[in-house]
Amino acid sequence: MEPSMSLSAAHSRALAASGRVRLPLRSRVWRGQAGEFAGGGTGSSMDFQDHRAYSPGDDPRHINWQAYARTGSYTMKLFREEVRPVVDLILDASESMFFTPEKLNRTAELLYFFAESSLSAGASIHIHAVRGDASLTLDPATLRNHSWLDKIRALTPTQGDHSNPAAPEMQRLPLRANAIRVFLSDLLFPADPEPILRHLGQRQGSLMIFAPFLQSEATPDWSGNYEFIDAESQGRHPHRIEPAILKRYRESYSNHFAIWKQQSNRHQTPFARIPCELDLITALYQAALPINALESV
Amino acid sequence: MLTNPLGLLALLGIPAVLAIHFLQRKSIELPVSTLFLLERTQRDAISGRRFDRLIPSVPLWMQLLGVLLLTWLLVEPRYKKENSVQRVAIVVDSSASMSVFRDDGIKRLTDELPAIQGLASAMEITVLESAPDRPRIYTGTSLDDMAKALKKWSPKEGMIDPTRSIRLARSLVSSEGSVIYLTDTPAEELPFEARLLSVGRPVENVGFTGITFANEQGALVWRAVVKNYGKSPATRTWKIVTADGSTEPASLKLAPGGITTIQAAFPTDAKEVRLELSPDDFPLDDCLPIVKPAPKPLTLFAATSPAFADLGEKLVNSLEATSSSNDATSADIMLATYDPLDPTLPVGNAIVFVEDSTATGTYLRGGILAEASPLMDGLNWQSLLVRETIQLDRQPTDQVLLWQEKRPLIFLRHLPATESRPAASQLFFNFDLRLSNVERQPAFIVLLHRFAGAVRDAKVAPASLNLETNQPVKLTLDPKQLATITQTSPDGKVLSKTSSETLPASFTTPPAPGFLTLSQADETLLSASLHFADTREADFTACSATDTLTESNQAAIDRHTKEDPYWRVWFILLIAAVLVAWKFVQTKSTEPTVASPVGGR
Repeated sequence: MEPSMSLSAAHSRALAASGRVRLPLRSRVWRGQAGEFAGGGTGSSMDFQDHRAYSPGDDPRHINWQAYARTGSYTMKLFREEVRPVVDLILDASESMFFTPEKLNRTAELLYFFAESSLSAGASIHIHAVRGDASLTLDPATLRNHSWLDKIRALTPTQGDHSNPAAPEMQRLPLRANAIRVFLSDLLFPADPEPILRHLGQRQGSLMIFAPFLQSEATPDWSGNYEFIDAESQGRHPHRIEPAILKRYRESYSNHFAIWKQQSNRHQTPFARIPCELDLITALYQAALPINALESV
Repeated sequence: MLTNPLGLLALLGIPAVLAIHFLQRKSIELPVSTLFLLERTQRDAISGRRFDRLIPSVPLWMQLLGVLLLTWLLVEPRYKKENSVQRVAIVVDSSASMSVFRDDGIKRLTDELPAIQGLASAMEITVLESAPDRPRIYTGTSLDDMAKALKKWSPKEGMIDPTRSIRLARSLVSSEGSVIYLTDTPAEELPFEARLLSVGRPVENVGFTGITFANEQGALVWRAVVKNYGKSPATRTWKIVTADGSTEPASLKLAPGGITTIQAAFPTDAKEVRLELSPDDFPLDDCLPIVKPAPKPLTLFAATSPAFADLGEKLVNSLEATSSSNDATSADIMLATYDPLDPTLPVGNAIVFVEDSTATGTYLRGGILAEASPLMDGLNWQSLLVRETIQLDRQPTDQVLLWQEKRPLIFLRHLPATESRPAASQLFFNFDLRLSNVERQPAFIVLLHRFAGAVRDAKVAPASLNLETNQPVKLTLDPKQLATITQTSPDGKVLSKTSSETLPASFTTPPAPGFLTLSQADETLLSASLHFADTREADFTACSATDTLTESNQAAIDRHTKEDPYWRVWFILLIAAVLVAWKFVQTKSTEPTVASPVGGR
């Protein structure tokens, strides 16, 4: 199957999923541009919120003349603010995200799902692709013509190697304030989660982490001599895998994600590991809904 | 023991199998993205340790087992039989040149014999000399005793054909034993399946090769020949040593292969003299003992008519140590003419001619035929012309030496000993010499010299001779007297002294240089010097070290050992190992070898 056809199919599945589950945009109070969602402040919506005394500079259109008639003092009539939610989608564009067809599909499906889910909610979405110290802001239009994959694969980081792959550098991303930040990454880099989580949570950001993973990554069945080809650098690395080594690898893999889970909890960040082997809706229901990373429509 | 040590080369199959497993066991190529997790846990299995990559497998173990079994079968192991005996007969070269390499030969023998014993439980050793008449040097089972016996052995013979001794050695050890010929000069091929052990090497040697004497200006002068047998120039000194002292050493330079002659007057007051060269590795020819030569004297009494006086004078002058005598009874040889008018013949040793001055006959016709006799050996009489003359009375016991047709021309008469006179020989010329050309015949002169020599040999009289070692000498002794032979070294030490009443007529001089005296009834009949003059033995250029001891003796191995009784089991195991390895390899080859990629960075 051609990549564009595969991406198109993934887009279709993401659309279908977005009809079943969505980002929990309504469950929080928003501030920002006028939109469909109730804001945290007063605004010009039809929903009455409160009264308060008039202050110089208040809009005279909102003076409650009936109350002035009864009391002789100016009372302001306050209405609920209506704003647009803001979503910053950060995509880890390292090769491991597209390592196997299953993982590529799942990455594409999640990317499409978050974009469609945000757009259908009228949210303002920015998509940032990060590969090491290289980053790219994607036009949502590139999602619809499926050219995003080629663009982010053209990113070339200047640092990192097979034994110490570069972690995505978030500092350069133009993250917006008061945004829901969705970090889509398999987290297969040796960096400390704490700085990443702290940075992505800055400026009243609300972070959610979605980590697609392969079962063969978690529990490989290696045995014997291997010429491992690094997904990032394409370098060849001969290894002999014995049961003890395989056991240590599995422990290391579990520890790696246990640390991410632990740090996410500290930052009150929903952390969902999405298996690649299941279909998208099943995987989302199984991994994301129980921790309120997503909500049913 | 291993019958075929070359079979151990099959062990090279082990590295070959390992190499094949290293090279053919290609690693599975697998894209992976969790390398940082893997290498974090597996620091000791990173690249660069290729031996870690050899995974023990059934085919590997089966192939290694197969190589070991194949090696075991190829080396053909054999086990020692109990009570087996290896018989070894060693023929040592008795030639004098071996004296230089005797110790080397003993060491080689003691080194090599254990290998020849092989797996036999015991070894019986017999050591013979190549000179067949010598006693055995050693018979026994101990290498140490053999070495001690050989230490006492002193080879001094000339060049000897070892065939007889090798034949004897082979008969001693039968066809199953080993015969070794220890020499210093490699032989191309030895008979009777003897194995060669040559321990020689080229040795620089300078030595005397011989001596002659001459009378010059009334003095006796000796001339000795010195030769450099080596391949490089040599410088030596020589001196004359007598009982009174020695001369100052004189220097001598010889080119490679060069020969020179040294000479001096024989010391007038010395009996035994020796010439000495500065020593080298081969000492036998570095010393030349000499005595003043003096053959047995011979007296000649001429009882011929004046017509033959000239012949008698010539004969006296031409014969060595011969003088004229006027006493017919004491003369050793009488020269007489036969006169039919006075047919009296001499009674002792005599040469008798016919004198016929009355007639001039015709030349005799017919073929000339010489009878076989030591006196006539090799002489040519075909050009002899003889006129018919009167003839001597020939007795039936006379031995005719020369015929012309049926007429005897020369005959020999032996007169047996009587109480009054010893045995005698008489040579008759049955024609008048003057009526023939016999005086111009070389055969005539030689015949007279031979007859005179035979008379001289038969005479019991003192003589002084310069002889070579191992030289046959004819002895003429008084059979009624006790004879004593005394052998001394060149410096006068008595080496042996033997007395016997029955010394053989033919005597071989001892092999060691020195002096020899033969005395009988207080009279010294022979004073002789003995010097080594075998130039073949003194020349070491052909000597070299080689051996054929390692030539396999399959029969001896079979005799002393038995084959591995389990070789069939090993063979079946080998086949099984090969089949199992093949089966596993076949099974393995049907499995996929390239895995699908697994995830993670």
